[in-house]
Amino acid sequence: MFLEDVITGKNIEKSFGSFKLDVPELHIPKGFATALIGENGAGKTTLLNILTGLRLDAKGEIKYFGKYDGVESDPYVKNTIGYVGSGYYYLPHWTTKQVEEITGLLFDDFDKEKFEKIAAALALDLKGKMGAPKKVSELSDGNKVKLMLCGALARKTGMLIMDEPASPLDPLMRDNLCDLIREYLNNGQGERSVFFSTHNVADMESVTDYVMIMEKGKIVEEGFVEDLKEKYVIVKGEKEYADGARKVLFSISESSYGFTGVCLSENLDALAGMNISTERASLTDICVAVMKKYSGLSLSKDLEI
Amino acid sequence: MVILQNSGTPIYQQIAEQIKADIVNGRIKENEYLPSIRGLAKDLKISVITTMKAYDELAEEGYVTAVQGKGYIVNPQDTEMMREQHLRRIEDGLTDAIKAARLAGIGGEELKNMLDILLDEQ
Repeated sequence: MFLEDVITGKNIEKSFGSFKLDVPELHIPKGFATALIGENGAGKTTLLNILTGLRLDAKGEIKYFGKYDGVESDPYVKNTIGYVGSGYYYLPHWTTKQVEEITGLLFDDFDKEKFEKIAAALALDLKGKMGAPKKVSELSDGNKVKLMLCGALARKTGMLIMDEPASPLDPLMRDNLCDLIREYLNNGQGERSVFFSTHNVADMESVTDYVMIMEKGKIVEEGFVEDLKEKYVIVKGEKEYADGARKVLFSISESSYGFTGVCLSENLDALAGMNISTERASLTDICVAVMKKYSGLSLSKDLEI
Repeated sequence: MVILQNSGTPIYQQIAEQIKADIVNGRIKENEYLPSIRGLAKDLKISVITTMKAYDELAEEGYVTAVQGKGYIVNPQDTEMMREQHLRRIEDGLTDAIKAARLAGIGGEELKNMLDILLDEQ
């Protein structure tokens, strides 16, 4: 495919105690929505903070938009990236009006009208009961995310980076978020990119083009979703075949009736002769299988609750 | 275009099939451009990569050609080639039916009867 990176990273490293973020190669494809998926503590936020320049003490080289070395190398980089954080970076005592004014001061091309239009479209009420602007502290977590989205989308950006944007949103708003991402990409005609972390794989699958799965500070699997769905396949079978299948499958969970597992498509031939059924995997299936494999975490069969 | 999320048929295939039908029926004419990848993704509420895969499949099977920077253009339809492709699909379907019949211990005559009945019903 005719691929270009919007961000390219090399040997990105950062350690805290026993945790180490270690990303020898990072390629975020231009023109697509890329999801960063992983367990709590896998290092997703650390990576996003390094990319957005919130953390400047990491090792490694990062190239932006094919030509800028480092987030601080040129004002263009920060001006062109819209960031939605999980830490709610607007100060709690700011009013929505102040958020609007400050965003306008900090960035070129901030469009006040667009800000208010997007707020209305997201059903975010910027004003309180008496008509005065609301304070950030008065907003719910979901509305804080919406406010950050307004701030980011009211600017002329070429990339959106979002840390867990879906988590505080209700199902309807998650759907709206997906629509917003598609609209953003569509109007960019291949020049805009989106990079976001999420736990809500199923809710975000319909907008995810490329996925990176992180485990203990490393990217353990990545690829275009459609390619991964060819690479992995769900396999189900009766109990009697479980022993044979276990050796072949990428991951397996067993019950007293049978087994369900994920198999690499290239190994499917090794299951020939067994009475099994196969099914196309969803992105959630793939993520869970990969995370299980690399974390070694799954509930013990002996656990009683 | 209708996309079913849980039909068992991958979404990219559903898109490719429906566009193929539109091309074959002349609803989309030769030298017309397909909707842009990101535009169609937006309209169908699916990811860009899924639309891309559908278009790639159409290009691979010769229905459309990718034009750098402009999108996907519908090729003049070679009727002979189309017929070949349809024949191949029919063969595949019938082969599946034969396999299923063998598993169930249903013989050739019975299978042919079934086909006749189905043909009558249509």
